[in-house]
Parts: sequence; C-alpha cells; structure tokens
Amino acid sequence: MKPLVLVIEDDPQIRRFLRATLAAEDYQFHEAVTAAEGSAQAAARQPDLVLLDLGLPDRDGLDVTRELRGWSAVPIIVLSARGREQDKVAALDLGADDYLTKPFGVDELLARIRVALRHAARAPGDPEPVFEAEGVRVDLVRREVHRGQEEVHLTPTEYKLLTVLVRHAGKVLTHGQLLKDVWGSRSPEQSHYVRVYMAQLRQKLEADPARPRLLVTEPGVGYRLKEG
Amino acid sequence: MEYVASHAEPTPTDETAVELAEAEPQPRAVSASWREYALAVAIVALATLVALLLRPYLAATNLAMVYLLGVVAVATRCSRSASVMASFLSVAAFDFFCVPPYLTFQVSEYEYLITFAGMLAVALVISAQTSRIRAQAASAVDRESRTKALYRLSRRLAAQTRVFDAALAAAEVAEQVFGSHVTIFLPEDGRISFRKRTSNQLLISTAEEEIAQAVFDHGRKAGKGMERFPAAAATYVPLKGVSRIVGVMAILPGPHGETLKADQQHLLDLFANQTALAIERTLSQNAADDARMQMETEEMRSSLLSAVSHDLRTPLASITGAATTLRSQSDKLPPAVRDELLDSISEEALRLSRLVGNLLDMTRLESGVELRVDLYPLEEIVGAALQRLEPQLAGRETSVSLPEDLPLVKVDDVLLGQVLGNLIENATKYSPPGSAIEIAAEAVAGAVQLEVRDRGPGFAAGEEKRLFEKFYRGKSQGVRGAGLGLAICRAIVVAHRGSIEALHRPGGGAIFRIRLPLDALMKVDARL
Repeated sequence: MKPLVLVIEDDPQIRRFLRATLAAEDYQFHEAVTAAEGSAQAAARQPDLVLLDLGLPDRDGLDVTRELRGWSAVPIIVLSARGREQDKVAALDLGADDYLTKPFGVDELLARIRVALRHAARAPGDPEPVFEAEGVRVDLVRREVHRGQEEVHLTPTEYKLLTVLVRHAGKVLTHGQLLKDVWGSRSPEQSHYVRVYMAQLRQKLEADPARPRLLVTEPGVGYRLKEG
Repeated sequence: MEYVASHAEPTPTDETAVELAEAEPQPRAVSASWREYALAVAIVALATLVALLLRPYLAATNLAMVYLLGVVAVATRCSRSASVMASFLSVAAFDFFCVPPYLTFQVSEYEYLITFAGMLAVALVISAQTSRIRAQAASAVDRESRTKALYRLSRRLAAQTRVFDAALAAAEVAEQVFGSHVTIFLPEDGRISFRKRTSNQLLISTAEEEIAQAVFDHGRKAGKGMERFPAAAATYVPLKGVSRIVGVMAILPGPHGETLKADQQHLLDLFANQTALAIERTLSQNAADDARMQMETEEMRSSLLSAVSHDLRTPLASITGAATTLRSQSDKLPPAVRDELLDSISEEALRLSRLVGNLLDMTRLESGVELRVDLYPLEEIVGAALQRLEPQLAGRETSVSLPEDLPLVKVDDVLLGQVLGNLIENATKYSPPGSAIEIAAEAVAGAVQLEVRDRGPGFAAGEEKRLFEKFYRGKSQGVRGAGLGLAICRAIVVAHRGSIEALHRPGGGAIFRIRLPLDALMKVDARL
C-alpha cells in the first residue's frame, strides 16, 4: 500500500510542486486548502502523514496540530517561514513530528517524510537496538557507545541524553522535549543544561565538535541526531 | 466609605508639593511688625537699667553712650522705623533718668540740650545707615535666590526634548520656588487643552477655562491679584515665546490664600518667559527632527528601491530565462546544458530567498526586535553557522579555534548565528576560492571576542566604518549583494550591547571582530 500524504497548504504553487514530487516518489496525495478542510480530510481519509502549513487563511496551523493530536498519532510535519522559530517550537511541543523551513528543497522534504513514516511504523518504546552513523555506534541493549573501535565512556546523564536522541534519530527535538525526557523538567530556565551536555557529547563523539556531523543544532529550535 | 477615604487622604503629589515648598526658603518682605517695636522698647529699657547702675560712677554725658549702643543693637535687628523710635525713646529716657534733676524731663543745665541734639543725630544716622545696609543685604539674598531659581529652571528645561516634559519640569520647579500649585496648560489646535496640562491640582471650572483661554488668546496676565478677572481661583500668566504664545501657566494662591508679592510677581514673569522660550525651542526642534527624519526615510526608501529592484530583478531574469529555455528548447539542449540551467534556477532562487530574508531581518531589527537570549556555548553557534554554509565553504580550509574554557555566552542564538553566517559568507564571497577562512574566539578583558578572518583583497583604507552602512557595497569587483549583510550584523551586535569592527589583516585580507561585553555573558559551572 502506498502511504497517503495529506497536504494542508493554501498556496497553489506549493501544492503543485508537492503533488509532482510525491507522485514521483510513489506516495498517494490528498490536498486541503484551509484548516477546516484539513481537519475534515484528516478524519475522513486517515492519512499516513500530514504536511501542514502554519500560515493558513482561516485558522492557525498550531490549532490544527492541537486538534489532530487530540485523536490521532499521525506524523505531522509543519511548513513554516524563516524567522518563525517560536512557531516551530510551539508546533513541535504540541506534538508535531518535524518541520521544514520555506523555501525547502525536495531532498530535505523526502528525508523528513521518510524519517517520520519510519518512526510512526515502529511501536513507541521499541527502538532499533543499534544505531550507527558517522563512525559512532550506540548499542541500546548492551548500553555501549563506540567511536570507531574505541569504547566511549559517558556519564549517566550524557548516556540518557544520547539514548533519547537515538530513539528519535533523524527527528528534531526541542530543548523543552529533551529537558523533559532527560531531566524530567520543563523549566525553560534550565535549557542551558541541554546545551552544556550536548557540548560534552560532541566533545566525546564528534571528530570536530565545532563542525558536528552527528549532533546537529537547529538554531532557535533544538537538536537533531543525523542518521547515516 | 471608599469615597470618604479617598477624599480624606491627601494624594502623594499633594504631599510632595507641600514638602518641597517648605524646604525652599521663602523670600520674606522686610516690614516692621509689633514684635520689632516691642524689642526696641525692651532694648531701650535694658539700656536704662545699665545706665541707672552706672549713674553713681559716670558723668551723665558718658551714660549717653550706653543708649547709643542700645540704638545700634535695635538698628541691626529691627526695621528703620523701630530704630528711629528707639532713638527718640533713648533721648527721652536719658533725659528722664540720667540728667539731673532725675525723674523729670526738666534740665538743670542748658548744655545738656547740646548732648540731646548730638545723641539724637548720631542715633538717627546709625538707624538710617544700618537699615540701608540691611536692605542691601536682603536684596542681595533675594537676588541670589531668584538667580538660583532661574538657573535651576533653565537647567531642567535644557534637558527636555519633548514639549510636555519641558512643561512638567517648569511646573515642578515653579511649585518649589513659589510654594504653591502651578499648572501649565498647553494648546491643542489653537485652544488651551485641558487634556494637555501638567497636573490636576487646579480643578478647572468652565469660568476658569474661559479665563485661561482669554489669557492664551490675548497674551495678558489675568486672574487672582490682577486687574482682569480678580475673582478667579488662580493667577494666569501667558507663556509668550518669540513668535507666538505657547501655553498658559496658572498659579494658585498659597496655603493661606496669599497672593504673590511684587518681587515674586516679577520672578514669575521671568519663569513664564524662560519656560515659553524653552517650549518654543522644543517645538521647533521637534519640527526640524520630523523634517529630517522624513527626509532620511525618503532617502532610504529610494536607495532601498534602487538596490532591491536591481537585486530582485537580476535573479528573476536568470530564473525566467533558464525556465523558458528549458520549456521551449528542451529537446534541442544537450543534457549537460539542461542540468546547468536547472542549477542556475535553484541557485538564483536561493539567492532571492536570502535577499528577501535579509530585507525582512533589517526591517525587523529596525522596528526593535526583542532578543530571545539564553546561555549558549559559542561552539554550538559557530557549528550551526558553518553547517548552514557548507555548500559555500566547499573546497576551502576552514579552521575554528575556540578555547575550551570560553564562558557560555548570553545571546539570541538565531541572531548571533546570523551575524556569524553573514561574516563567513562575506569571507567566501570576497576571497579567492580555495583560500583559508579562520574563525577564532577568545576571552579578553571584560568581553568575549570573536573574529572571522579571510585572505581576500581586504577592503579599501577608509572603508572601515562605511562597510557597516546599509546598502553600502565594498569596492571589490564582481561581487553581488544588496549591501545589507554587515548592516544587519551591526544592528544585531549593537542590540547585544556589543561592538563590531573591520580590520586590515597583516599579510593581506580582512578581519571582522565582534566583542560581546562581559555583562552580556555569564559564567556557568559546566559540570552542573
């Protein structure tokens, strides 16, 4: 069965380009122009993935995210303009899975869709036991981290942060989500904990910590663990 | 109950006004009161007592000296009329108590009449001279306090850049100096406006409004203590500038209903005059500022239009050209050429997107964007910028040197990342392909310093400052851009209270140096 993608976007040119790309990649495609229509289509068609523009004419895309998350775990990728980082963080914290900044290229779009569909297909709490990319190997079962041939020793907090990232590999995670998952707190005053520990992880895992290949920063939003 | 309470308690402004009034010494009129006459009588009586005690030992003529001393004492303390009275009283007492036969005004020897005349003359001269000296001293004190008051007013007025602030300052100083409530009314569309007044102390009735308006219209004082409208609650003084009347100053009578004395009236006129000139100056200054701002806005708009129209059209032209070529001649083109055209479409579109992004950022920064600061390792911000510019940096050696003990920086990561991105992108544009780019940071006294260095041709001498101006493009040939990148950098760095400068690099090339002051930074224990 070809996965069904619901596009909720008011601009006809962007819909046209998405339709062409998704058809070429063997996805089924449905489109909605307004938030109201989008919500209705999502309920009627039960799509496998939603591409949601945050700037819709009738209602805020954030509302649609909140509404969809009320009854569905369908992966949501939000589309938003540059300079609207707060909106992206809000959408992600409301349960959106990822975001794309307009203008975006097709490779980026397809990569995000693939990651989101793969995570959705897997039952939560059942990650792949081994993650491997950029010469780093994380074995969640044996609780071992290797860089090349050498074992890397991580503190418990570093390891916990890394496992959260591995579980969501390829997906963006906001500072708030990481704080909650690793420290059990959502206080934004502590978000520099995340950054300090991320810097330590980079020191231990990256070849050049100032030019990370694995633990990538999404400015103003959060972090993404790049897949191989 | 609330109603009663709110009226029973004096408002804070009330209290301050009263306190200030008390703190200020009031120039008091020098007029003889009954106290001074009583003092004069008492001093003459004291002199008589002393003279009676000395009478057995001294000649009568010498006792006259005691009385003269008394007159001197009276003259230095009391008004002239009191000391004149003391002079006559002394002569009478001297005759009565010290000249035989005692306790009568009769005189045994006629030469005493000469003593009396001499004594009276000396006493009167002392009275006159002393009181003149006192009057001079009092008027000097008066002049000094007036000068001080005017100086304070002019100093306060000089600091104001807005009309209403100037009026507020003038009213405040006037209240302190005159010890009663002062309100300044400013006009709105040619009428005294009761919405533009400096205080609500003066609760205006319709009748008072009309008086204030009449004073504004005719430019003559009126109200309490004046010929016109003496029944009014306050005294109204026009604020006459050089070319027009800019407002009305109203002063209420003092706490006991007293109106201003003549010399205070004069001071009030001086106050009104100075305030009027200050307000008029502020008004014309504001008008000049408005005109200048409008001119600058126009200028900016036109240079923006010319820069933007050129920079938007060029990529649009290549996109249109490439797309139409692909569409109508697709079958005649070799695949390599088709790929080239497709590349140019996507590259030019990205360029357009960056330009539009820069324009939006500039607008956002100019309208006063709010920084979303938090603590970041500089490494993370540098890393994100390098990652974003990976395509532009391909084939170049890029070195990053960041000391490990660099403190976390308290910045807006998106904005500072953009500064770095713009600087690195500039370095790639203005230096030959393949040449090295260096990014280095260090902690210096009171700041963290971040540098982006290239080995390009650098910039012309004298361009250091102009580089950061909007729409200014370096003199290098063949580089395209709207001239916004560095202006955006400067705006962002300044918003972080930092500084940015361009330096010539020894051995060729340019260095862009950012300094973020230490108070924008915070040391955090990295081990937590």
